[in-house]
Amino acid sequence: MAEKGLQLDSGILQFAPKGAFYETQDEQFKQIYRMWEDLFLYDRTLFCLTTLLGGTGFSKGSMSHMLLSNPQSVEDGALIPQGLAIDYERNVIIHNLKRERTPRALKNLLMLTGGEGMKKVNNARTRKIILEFIFNRDHEALDNLAVNYKGKLKRLVRHALGRQTLSRIVDHGDEKLFNKWIGRYHPNALPVILYLFDRPVPANTVMAYYKKIEQVLSLKEAAVKDDIKAFEKYMKGLPYLTVMGYRNTYKVTIDKADVLEGSKMTDRQSLQMQTAAKRSGAKVKVNYNNQSIYDLWKIYYHNLMQSDTTDLPKIEKAIDEKHAKAAKIDIGPVTIVIDASESMSGSDKRPLHPFLTSLSILSVLDNIVDVIYVGGKPIDVNGNQIAVPGGATDLWRGLTEAVMTDAKKIIIISDGYENSVKGMFEHAYKHFKNSGFDFELIHINPVMSADASKGTTRQLVEDVKPLPVSAPEFLETELIFNKMIENRELVKQLLVNKYQKLIGGQ
Amino acid sequence: MASIFALLKKFKNGLDMGSIQSVDEMSVIPLVGDDRGDIVADPQELKFQRTTNYGSMQFDNTERSRPAIVPSNYMVRGTGAQDHAMSSAGIVAGGKTKTFDTACCIESSQGGYLGGANNEYDVLPIGLRKNLLPASMRNRRSYDKLWPSIEEWLKGIGINSYNAHLRYFYDDKNIRQALEDFAAEFEPIPNQIGAIILFNEMPVGFEVMPTTIHWNAYWKYLIRGCYGAELIRMKKLGIVKSSRLVLPDIPAKSTPEELAELFSSYQQSLTAGVIPLLEKINVKDYKAVSSTSGLEMNFVTTTSGGGGDVIAQGQEPVYASIVF
Repeated sequence: MAEKGLQLDSGILQFAPKGAFYETQDEQFKQIYRMWEDLFLYDRTLFCLTTLLGGTGFSKGSMSHMLLSNPQSVEDGALIPQGLAIDYERNVIIHNLKRERTPRALKNLLMLTGGEGMKKVNNARTRKIILEFIFNRDHEALDNLAVNYKGKLKRLVRHALGRQTLSRIVDHGDEKLFNKWIGRYHPNALPVILYLFDRPVPANTVMAYYKKIEQVLSLKEAAVKDDIKAFEKYMKGLPYLTVMGYRNTYKVTIDKADVLEGSKMTDRQSLQMQTAAKRSGAKVKVNYNNQSIYDLWKIYYHNLMQSDTTDLPKIEKAIDEKHAKAAKIDIGPVTIVIDASESMSGSDKRPLHPFLTSLSILSVLDNIVDVIYVGGKPIDVNGNQIAVPGGATDLWRGLTEAVMTDAKKIIIISDGYENSVKGMFEHAYKHFKNSGFDFELIHINPVMSADASKGTTRQLVEDVKPLPVSAPEFLETELIFNKMIENRELVKQLLVNKYQKLIGGQ
Repeated sequence: MASIFALLKKFKNGLDMGSIQSVDEMSVIPLVGDDRGDIVADPQELKFQRTTNYGSMQFDNTERSRPAIVPSNYMVRGTGAQDHAMSSAGIVAGGKTKTFDTACCIESSQGGYLGGANNEYDVLPIGLRKNLLPASMRNRRSYDKLWPSIEEWLKGIGINSYNAHLRYFYDDKNIRQALEDFAAEFEPIPNQIGAIILFNEMPVGFEVMPTTIHWNAYWKYLIRGCYGAELIRMKKLGIVKSSRLVLPDIPAKSTPEELAELFSSYQQSLTAGVIPLLEKINVKDYKAVSSTSGLEMNFVTTTSGGGGDVIAQGQEPVYASIVF
């Protein structure tokens, strides 16, 4: 890949295969995949280290997949920049997996087994990474992991060990092989392996470390016998999905509402299950204070669209509190223009995502002088007008209004479609700049676009490169990507420093 | 002889023109206003059911009390079956199933009947819609009547034209992308129920739906599948001059307020400029062709060689789809 033609932006770290209003996820994925390849060929070290920056789990998983699919040369010492360990790629991959939420981390490992449309990869590095990630943890954590993600772990362990080695361990009790592959990370993990592959645990095995596994085995027994009393007893505290799995598989005659109330859900699950719980008549308590600002806006608009106003005051309060506590980026006084046109309503798979991202970005910026909405439909909520995406844009009006506020910095959050006479925005912008209006325009684009002429998002003005920001926490990353091509070595040094801070020295 | 603009004025409660949206050679002037009439079923009540034979398209209207409108030249493309398009608009009585046996096959060498699921929907490109205007074409029961026109339409644009497979055009990767990009540039505005469409500032058609719900349901089929598709083909053939609207000169030192005023009047003048153009297009013939459940279907031809369908509830048009 010639450096000259290299096009990069931080969108490569922020991809989530959900599609957009105008594009399918396949089109977007191809575009992003090309950019991953380009950066990989341009500079493998940069490619690897950028995954330490904020980004989506999917992007990081895919990028790790690319690293693990291509052997890392250990003969040429010059390839490893000073300050990095020889196995720095492994360190970065493990570090990223540990920072992900567990379901996403496991999905990223499952990419190595062919998950999410990826090619299967199986080599010494992948084997070690999979087994280290799963088993290098304390008893309680391993117990929880095994119970919550049995199916996923089963696929991963089978992939890493291969059928033959696996059979030697679980069917023939080959201790040597167990210690070689798993015991090195967790000497007491044998009951876990046996549980994952539905093999009976020998009678003399000490299960004290694995109370959850023991409980699940009792729950299964109750399910097989349709013993509702025992089922109710053992389901307490177990993950909702596990309990539902046994309820459905063995057709246990227990109400879904009872399962919803009795089993355990994560804060995120309880938010996601709120509607289903209401339908079934169960009471699921949602702790709004533990949600991200994005998730709060999401549930707020979801309830609004369902005309369910019961919890809106609580959610509003939680949003206010989150907003007040959020770490802010101060770039000086700024006027923000939000594109609230129809296309900001996102795709069917991720409804309202661009608009919700826009609202969330407001919480990580300090010193906001004014917020101007362009387009949108107002909805009346308890006497307040709440903007919902709709209609066309006339974006130039937003810019003009913002200039009228004498703002020195104007941030426009838009997907880049003008929906008026094309070019009017740029025409107005150029006039203001040529007429001595002193302001800097920053275009944040929350929508990936495969048809962008450059980079991953559509541009509104020739000399203002859009910053692709699919989630508010990714703003910091932009600076690094903006300088990556013009000052490669400086950026590499910044990333090596970040590596040392996060992971440690050589 | 009344102008086509007079026909637009026949829409009761008035239709206003919204702010123009324009990208390169195509401009769309939204038509906004109250919903028309009160007896047309919502678009989601209309379900394409299947093709019962080659040239026969069957629709269900799941709403019991109100008739549903099948948009003019509605096109259905499915896999492993002969794609079809309507020869005109259609009306399906409330709670009824209706088969339109004057429909056309648009995929000549493909066998099989379409079902109601996993289809793609659009409206035929205007070039082909015009081929269906003569009564001999739209009323004839002949599944292959549009094949020669499709072959001709596909010629010279780098698409296989040996078979009358319109899907060759829509399935082409680059064209599909171009059509999506095209649709992305335009968006419905509040209260929009229709649009006047222009190529290089010349009107090429107007579309009015009974309600905003109908417009929101069908606008993409029209902008992408009908007008966008035709423009892309014309550009590939080099028969449309590459151009974009000239933006107004902004006097140096204009304040933001002055710029806003200038831009607003520029957009208004573009919109107003279309009225004299529409006034030049006259209605040649306007005749009722059928009546179903209180809706009257009329066929219109214009002096410019165009025409289309107007559906009226009593004296009030509630739907119009006319190409020039």
